[in-house]
Amino acid sequence: MKFQAIDQFAANLKPSTQAAVYDGSKKGYDARTKTLFDHFEDPNRLRRVAGEIKQHVVENLDTYLPQVEAKLQANGVIVHWAATAEAANQTVLDIMRARNAKKMVKSKTMVSEETELARFLDKNGVECVETDLGEFIIQIDGDHPSHLVKPIIHKNRRDIATSFEKHGLGAYNDDPQTITQRARVHLRKKYLEADVALTGANFISAESGRLVLVTNEGNSRFCLAAAKTHIAMVGIEKILPRDRDLALLLNLLARSGTGQQLTVYTEFITGPKSAAQPDGPEEMHVIFVDNGRTDVLASECRDILRCIRCGACLNVCPVYRQASGHAYRSVYPGPVGAVLTPLLAGKKFPEFADLPKASSLCGACNEVCPVNIPIPDLLLRLRNKGKEEHVPSPGTPPMGPWALLATQPTVWKSALVGGKIINHLPTKLLPIPALRAWENKHSLPEWKGGDFRKWMRNRPSKPTTS
Amino acid sequence: MSADREAILSRVRGALAPLHQRAALPDWDNELIHMRSLRGDVDAWTLFQNRMKLVNGLSLEGAPALVAWLAENNWTRGYCDPVLWPRLQAAFQSGFTVETTFDRTRIDDYQFGITRAAGAVAETGTLILTDGTTSSRLAALTPWAHIAVLERSDIYLDLQHAVTALANDPNIVFCTGPSKTADVEGILIEGVHGPGQQVALLI
Amino acid sequence: MNLDHRVLPGSGKRVQLMATCLCDAFYDDVAKATVEVLEYLGCTIEFPEGQTCCGQPAFNGGDWDASRKVVRHTVKTFAGDAPVVVPSGSCAAMMFHGAILEFEKEADLADVKALGHRTWELGDFIVNGLGITNWPGRYDAVVAFHRSCHSRGTKSSEAATALLSSIAGTTIVPFGEAEQCCGFGGTFSVTFPNISGAMGDLKLDHIRKANPSVLVSGDMSCMMHLGGLSEKEGKPIKTQHFVQVLRDALKNGNLL
Repeated sequence: MKFQAIDQFAANLKPSTQAAVYDGSKKGYDARTKTLFDHFEDPNRLRRVAGEIKQHVVENLDTYLPQVEAKLQANGVIVHWAATAEAANQTVLDIMRARNAKKMVKSKTMVSEETELARFLDKNGVECVETDLGEFIIQIDGDHPSHLVKPIIHKNRRDIATSFEKHGLGAYNDDPQTITQRARVHLRKKYLEADVALTGANFISAESGRLVLVTNEGNSRFCLAAAKTHIAMVGIEKILPRDRDLALLLNLLARSGTGQQLTVYTEFITGPKSAAQPDGPEEMHVIFVDNGRTDVLASECRDILRCIRCGACLNVCPVYRQASGHAYRSVYPGPVGAVLTPLLAGKKFPEFADLPKASSLCGACNEVCPVNIPIPDLLLRLRNKGKEEHVPSPGTPPMGPWALLATQPTVWKSALVGGKIINHLPTKLLPIPALRAWENKHSLPEWKGGDFRKWMRNRPSKPTTS
Repeated sequence: MSADREAILSRVRGALAPLHQRAALPDWDNELIHMRSLRGDVDAWTLFQNRMKLVNGLSLEGAPALVAWLAENNWTRGYCDPVLWPRLQAAFQSGFTVETTFDRTRIDDYQFGITRAAGAVAETGTLILTDGTTSSRLAALTPWAHIAVLERSDIYLDLQHAVTALANDPNIVFCTGPSKTADVEGILIEGVHGPGQQVALLI
Repeated sequence: MNLDHRVLPGSGKRVQLMATCLCDAFYDDVAKATVEVLEYLGCTIEFPEGQTCCGQPAFNGGDWDASRKVVRHTVKTFAGDAPVVVPSGSCAAMMFHGAILEFEKEADLADVKALGHRTWELGDFIVNGLGITNWPGRYDAVVAFHRSCHSRGTKSSEAATALLSSIAGTTIVPFGEAEQCCGFGGTFSVTFPNISGAMGDLKLDHIRKANPSVLVSGDMSCMMHLGGLSEKEGKPIKTQHFVQVLRDALKNGNLL
């Protein structure tokens, strides 16, 4: 019997990596739960309202996009649009070339991971340095992030110390304090040399055009204190209607992701620096990126566009905890990735149609989602899409014969009784793949097919006592 | 790319056209995000001090307390906002070198940076910095200790009030404790790119 | 999750029993206990003979076409307006949530919704439908209660634990990571055997640390998984549906 790719990946995962992913995500989940329930009377109401706000935005993007564009322009921001990953990367390169800029510092942005901006710029002779500590380590290792907010959750200090040594960042030392200090010293030079700072955006308010960025390390703040040009790559779904909605979503974002009340640096940016300020960008660009989002919007899974990339669904997900982020073969791992990746893949959907299957549909993701995305429902819709598009699914038993059986009560009842033969057969030899897979790990209870019905039929009817 | 603009907007319109009904924008009242700890009578400065402690920040009252703290840590070289310096100068005894212009070519020469806070948020222990009140973004970020000078009247009780009262300023930063990471094995390390010490000074 | 089936029709005590295919095939005693407990509470039980399965296996597998055929059969089988009571949170949720999702664009959506709205998970029905919160009799046990995932967002787990903890002699012990799934997930357990098994082992570890005398749940599918894993490992854990506990308590108290 063939098993699913994600299950194979989990089976082959190094135990130390699995333990690191498990511990890291569990810690995030525990902190989230404690903070939210300590702080608020009814945190679930916050999640529901936040979900409604984001759903409203998603379903009214035709109004909000031009509105936010006009606000940004009025604030002195240059607005660009990019339908594809290629167009987004090219827009960044064009802005840099027009200013003869050669060096970029980059704050963590998921959309630039989608477009593989750093690799693209590198090929075109632009130095692009990741400044988030985790992303920096990913970059020097040529690795991929495996968690939305903890990109190196799969690495331990020894991995990092070895890699620092290899890349000339000092002799082997696996003390986290030393690792961080070395990165601090190395990256300070990079910030001050950079011509351009690239960031994403966590939110943009349609009311004021304020772009909100959050980081704990302060790397985006440093980017925006040192470079003369600021480029923000923003997914078209990042809008919030009003400034006060920012307060609600900020109250949820850090608590859901890391269990913090608020991320250390929360920046509200409306444009280039003020005239009296000596430091910071003199020019600000926003690139609105589609890259498959309008396909998601057209699908019945558009609710996933509410996502604010907090990582709570990864932290709680039992499958993510066992399989790790790399099992999902994409920028977005975990439950949100299992929905988003196949959708963003467009024509390549069949390549990722197995991701929505990697779930016991336990619903924990929906329970913790700060914008209340019904992730299990979306996983189910995508499973149905896979079936309708005839994408093969290893190990999934065919359901046609079962439906035939389950719609003919007479046949069903005889099968129940006839099934008792299984108690007397060497089940290991039966050519039923699902049964053999089950028996590999479990014992099978005794088959008692039809016994209840017989009991029900033959019992004397009882008078009711009411 | 105006072609991309039209392409995206037309795809958005096309995607939304089949919807019979669009989700409405919910109204919500401030009570929704009212924290338990803020129920009852709360003094903003006291709450701010407590909350700042929770995020490993430090609050001090009066210039002499600041100077004593700096001396204790043996941090003698720093930067001060020129507008603030006349008010603080008297407290600094000899042995300190304080510059009032920030030289970005020598950022590692500054052990501390003193700038003005535009305000604070009590419930989160947050300092609010703006372009209008911060004399240099780099000076408020790159020295190991950042001291933000705060007026008692500028403290908002909660995030909701602070966000709805955001100044008309191109760059507003809410700083909640020192720069930090937990990227390596989930272990908390402070002072990653920015300050390892975040101080609120009430004068 | 849609829970607007909270008001009982006038015929509150006349109920239809959906026994579930798992009880039909393996767990006859759970279905029997359901009948005995409901009758003890004064209900008249109708068992529609034509019933087969709720349709969930195909629904979860993505074959909604096949699933809808089974759901249509179920709708036809459970005609009428009496509450449909199910000793499984998972099958109940299929009726009041899953089926409605896959029938979104179907002409007979209203019929499916109507059935969904009168379908009750057993514990929810006893506590919130019939208003029973104290259970008589006696049952001497240290119970670990596994909150099955399909009861998320419903009142089912709360109801079952309220009943169990009211029984003389029964104590409920907490265990670690109670919010986590046991790893069953239907076909997930055979298509993702490594992950499913690891999830189950983790759950069993937590449960064993609490040292219960019995593991109880409202879903026999979870029990089949955890029981089967523990038995195969040679460290079997006793498992029961909560309705078996309720029935046994009545028997021990000579109330049945």
